[in-house]
Amino acid sequence: MIEQRRHVIDLDDFSATEIEEILETAESMREVLGREIKQVPALRGKTVVNMFFEESTRTRISFELAARALSANVVAFTARGSSVEKGESLVDTVRTLQALGADIIVMRHSQSGAPYLVARHFRGSLINAGDGRHAHPTQALLDLYTMRSRFGQIRGLKVVIVGDILHSRVVRSNLWGLTRLGAHVTLCGPPTLIGPAAFWTATWPQLRIAHELDPLLPDADVVMALRLQKERMQSGLLPALREYTRIYGLTAERLARLPAHAIVMHPGPMNEGIEIFPEVATASPSVIEEQVTNGVAVRMALLYRMAG
Amino acid sequence: MRYLIKNGTIIDPANRVATIGDILVANGKVERLYDLADLHSDREPVSPDTEVINARGCVVAPGFTDLHTHLRQPGEEHKETIASVSAAAAVGGFTTLCARPTTRPTPDNAATIRQLRELTAQWARVRIDLIGALTLGNEGQVLSEMRELAEAGCIAFSDGGRTITNSALMRNALSYAAALRLPVMVSCQDPYLAAGGVAHEGAVSVRLGLPGIPAAAEEAIVARDIALAEATGAHLHISRVSTAGSVALIRAARARGVHVTAEVTPHHLTLTDRWLLGWLEERLEIESGRSGAHPDLSLPSWLNPALLPPYDSSTRVDPPLRSIEHVEALVEGLRDGVIDAIAIDHAPHALVDRDCEYGLAPPGISGLETALALTLTLVHRGEMDIVNLIAKLTEGPAQVLNRSPANLRPGATADIVIFDPERSWVVEPEHFASKGRNTPLRGQRLKGQVMLTMAAGKIIFRRDDFGRQAQAAPQPSRLEGILGSE
Repeated sequence: MIEQRRHVIDLDDFSATEIEEILETAESMREVLGREIKQVPALRGKTVVNMFFEESTRTRISFELAARALSANVVAFTARGSSVEKGESLVDTVRTLQALGADIIVMRHSQSGAPYLVARHFRGSLINAGDGRHAHPTQALLDLYTMRSRFGQIRGLKVVIVGDILHSRVVRSNLWGLTRLGAHVTLCGPPTLIGPAAFWTATWPQLRIAHELDPLLPDADVVMALRLQKERMQSGLLPALREYTRIYGLTAERLARLPAHAIVMHPGPMNEGIEIFPEVATASPSVIEEQVTNGVAVRMALLYRMAG
Repeated sequence: MRYLIKNGTIIDPANRVATIGDILVANGKVERLYDLADLHSDREPVSPDTEVINARGCVVAPGFTDLHTHLRQPGEEHKETIASVSAAAAVGGFTTLCARPTTRPTPDNAATIRQLRELTAQWARVRIDLIGALTLGNEGQVLSEMRELAEAGCIAFSDGGRTITNSALMRNALSYAAALRLPVMVSCQDPYLAAGGVAHEGAVSVRLGLPGIPAAAEEAIVARDIALAEATGAHLHISRVSTAGSVALIRAARARGVHVTAEVTPHHLTLTDRWLLGWLEERLEIESGRSGAHPDLSLPSWLNPALLPPYDSSTRVDPPLRSIEHVEALVEGLRDGVIDAIAIDHAPHALVDRDCEYGLAPPGISGLETALALTLTLVHRGEMDIVNLIAKLTEGPAQVLNRSPANLRPGATADIVIFDPERSWVVEPEHFASKGRNTPLRGQRLKGQVMLTMAAGKIIFRRDDFGRQAQAAPQPSRLEGILGSE
């Protein structure tokens, strides 16, 4: 029996069973999305508010499509043009949305931990669509879904995540999900973008940390590249983009070292020519477009479960 | 009014006194101290104008001194006023506060200091000493007129929580202060290493995705300032030490005779960065069945961080709560004298400023009213003896200020605190005398509570009807366990 969950803030409180159930539900949702009329009435009469305090294209649209496919009323709220610009606090904003009848809030915020604050002041359900460097649970779920649909199961997969590990919410949520489901994860990147290994292994003891990408490739099932923010250069974390690209950039040449069955992933948005190259991003072994498509089904599955 | 404080356990570290006895207070001064021997001899009868305060089972000690209070008035009266901070001090057992120059306008000139003195004279019920700004506006660019500040009565110089990044200017400041024979109180944090940081850099900050402040951000500046103090002969006082490396640097500097003193806050002595996890951690440990995998030795069993939600802004403090190995080093440094004083860094904020995202919350804890109970956890855990702890709240701060400590010798000003070290209570910030309700201790059960505070012979705080009636049956002293080793 499906146990109803009120909020989705991170995957840290998801058991392996619950994750599997969501991935199963997402499978049915994919079927819905393949129909002529891509809509079911599960959330009819419910109001979903997309509250985005940070720029986002794919996550925001993906949530919007998911909610519409379930027949919910969808309201988009962006920080620009709202009372937030006039200095309204996050707590006040949430109280206002509650008074206006929001049932589910989907929130993107630049501050780590902001969803816990919202959850304390909101009587409905909250889905975290990314908070600071902390968590991005729906991205992790769609990544898991994509891996599972390619390999059948997650257990035993060798996953290499490469790039700006330290500042990535995608990494943290994926670590909870992947380790719960039994994958072997290696984090790879320059030391300035990871930090001391012990800081990571204290929470995820099974984890491996590496600073060289090439030796990991022949044995990898999944390579996930992360977006490299250009600000990182300004703060002195990297000497030069060129050097980063030379060591960690996913070029066709480098990916030739992967086993034939391996896949390449990226949570987007991509910096083509920096962490990944155009010819790699769109062709096999890349599943990046598939990730985006799967995102809608996975978010539908979550919304469906939370609506009870 | 005369008071006879009867049957208390008198602990007066400055005079090396720890005894059961009575204290007679008259005309604002300690008139007499009767120790155990006197109790069994004949004494003149208590005169009718003397109120007898029954302090059986309680500790009677000199009033506490806080080296690190943020008054907020003038400038931020919605956070705290001199009247409310005085009341909070009284509840916490403090009779002297040293105000950091963080009020607005910045007390970086004699006129502002004089205005502050007028305000404190009007509103304060405890002694408030003023610390002058080291640089204009605490901006670290231009030295304030330090001699004029000294003449206006400032007892030290400080730039609040800010570090002077220009090392040449810092050397000049120390050099100048050395001639005035006043301490320079520094908060050490390299702003580049700490840039954007809100939590101790380590496993917790990585797990929560919070920008970190490495221990080295503090230690690099502690090392620099010690070198400059050594070169100039100045008295350097390091505020709110928070890392093991800082303790080691101070220990080494003192061993070679540098005039450096140091303070540590109650929260850095007892809480770790795991408090930022709140109930997250407990849930994970239950789920994974690895409860106790990382025993947190800083927590006595009755302190429970899981009462907090994750990322609770009440745990945001400058410097950040550190990990357990740092906390252990701080306790050791305090115990063996490398750290002179416990200072509160009382930093009240309004709720409206605190009920927000972690990274946007102003750092600070409203700490005067929980300071004693929180530090007593060290005594209850057997990590420190109670005489040493009281010394860190009385004699230690006085040494930092180069003045004779509050004490209970006949003739001394009657600044006295009476507290019950075993009394258990639950922290309810709504009932704080301070206007600042920002504390991570909400809902925690603590042991040890101030029952009565006297400043210059006047009772400025009394809990309920404390001491008014003799207890029906004398109870065995509840202090036996605590004083067992005395």
